Amino acid sequence: MSSIAPEFRLSRFVASLTDIIFWVVVIFTLIGLPIVLILLFYIQLPVINDKLLTPYLALTWLADPSRTLPIVKSLIHTDFFRITTFPGFGFAALLAAGTIFIERKLLAKMQLRVGPLYCGKIEGILQLMGDGLKLISKEIIIPAKADKPIFWAAPLLFVGTAAAFISLIPVAPGWVVADVDVGLLAVFAVIGFFPIITLLSSWSANSKFPFIGGIRALHQMVSFEIPLILSLLGIVILAGTLNLTEIVESQQHYWWIIFMPIGAIVFFTTILAELERIPFDLPEAESEIVAGWLTEFSGMMYGLVQLGSYLKLYAFAALFTVLFLGGWNGPMVWPPFPQEIITEGIKMGPITLHVPGLPLLDQEMLNGTLWFTIKTVGVILVILIPRGVFPRIRIDLLLHTGWYKLIGLSFVNIFIALTLVYAGVLGPGGLIQ
Amino acid sequence: MHRFLYSPTGFLATLVGEVAGSFSPVLLMFGFAIVATAPALILSRMIAPRRRSNPVKFLPMECGQVPSGEGRTHFMMQYYAYVLMFVVFDVMSIFLYAWGSTLLNLPKSATLPIIAFLGIMFASFAFSLYQSGRRNIW
Repeated sequence: MSSIAPEFRLSRFVASLTDIIFWVVVIFTLIGLPIVLILLFYIQLPVINDKLLTPYLALTWLADPSRTLPIVKSLIHTDFFRITTFPGFGFAALLAAGTIFIERKLLAKMQLRVGPLYCGKIEGILQLMGDGLKLISKEIIIPAKADKPIFWAAPLLFVGTAAAFISLIPVAPGWVVADVDVGLLAVFAVIGFFPIITLLSSWSANSKFPFIGGIRALHQMVSFEIPLILSLLGIVILAGTLNLTEIVESQQHYWWIIFMPIGAIVFFTTILAELERIPFDLPEAESEIVAGWLTEFSGMMYGLVQLGSYLKLYAFAALFTVLFLGGWNGPMVWPPFPQEIITEGIKMGPITLHVPGLPLLDQEMLNGTLWFTIKTVGVILVILIPRGVFPRIRIDLLLHTGWYKLIGLSFVNIFIALTLVYAGVLGPGGLIQ
Repeated sequence: MHRFLYSPTGFLATLVGEVAGSFSPVLLMFGFAIVATAPALILSRMIAPRRRSNPVKFLPMECGQVPSGEGRTHFMMQYYAYVLMFVVFDVMSIFLYAWGSTLLNLPKSATLPIIAFLGIMFASFAFSLYQSGRRNIW
């Protein structure tokens, strides 16, 4: 346990705080406000009710209780909200943070350990925050002779690519950041960037262990990309579309995992390999090559790579849910919004509160998000469990698994899909609609 | 008519820019993630200590030993045959999607040539795997 430094003086601490506040105010007045005004000069503001909607007017309207919810509602449906918060970055980062905590506790329980315990009163629930503070206050050491621009850019590119992957995932009906016609092909395109970033960062570090890790990542990608692509062809044949939203809608009655369990198994194995998780964690094998391609990353750069890899974990689990487990489809369990509140308002004793525009989010969206989250968390748990159970496999066995077994199984899956179409079971005019 | 502006997707012609524009949220999300996480690096650079006390600190990690030789060395590209196979078969498997996504709209007789293509693909897989398994030629 740490204690307060011996030369600590409260007066000096308060003085330093006021000093910081003073400088923040000065810098904001001299630099921040002019930047805000310059930006406002160039942004085209909308005209509502013959009034120019200046930020001042918008804030005034937001304070008016009869207008707050409609304005919030209109903000929810903007692209900015989608990218930053709900189906986009914030939602994924929240699930990723939960995943990190659950993984540490789960692995500890599987190996008869306790796991994080001290940070935060309840079961070490603030451990992640503590780790983040530690990482952000550590020195970033870059090896001499490293290719600095690429080395700095690699963690950012990794997080950015993971976020681009997340943007293609539909979470609830109509709630997707990028509704692309060829969504599945876009997913393949984005996945292809990860090994390139790995290889670039490992080459730029000018160190041997990252380089070995990067070469291993390349081999892993080479042997598992083709089974990944071929195992999803069956779904595309049966659904007749590449759009992820339409693929989810095609599973209203039956999930594709019922008809194509082999494809699901192949896809799940390739997910483990693409995520570099045990038993396929050769690129960052701790007991062989220090930390693989992460060896030279220190401080917050390592933290960003970890954030990116957990965002990627969420995105792959969500993709499995969307393709095989029916996405947001599920029985309606979310209670409908009570009609009395809309018509009569909320009654609290003598006061009746009328809140216009109240069902902020419709029932279908909330129900869909609930089912999607439940399924995705289940898939994430199944991805986490092998780490406590399996050893690491050898690289020649990895290549053999990828090229001989998984590709053969994915061809079998394609022929199962073709049989289902031509035997008249699925598709237009089939037995099961 | 400016035919070059329209791409024939489905029955309704759509502007090429619309199709490309549907990808713009992907780029926006990529940019947002970088803009949102880059401050963490900058903040870390501002508050973390930076001491150039010892040049050994900036040497590449080699388990406590003084590093020997260059970091970017010549290396033996093992399993090179698999990399060559990847270049060919990745493209072939992506081509299958053009057929798979329109299968329900195609006449049934159109499937036979694709079955032949799958057979050729499978046979070439088997042959190249056999060749890459021969240790004495690599």
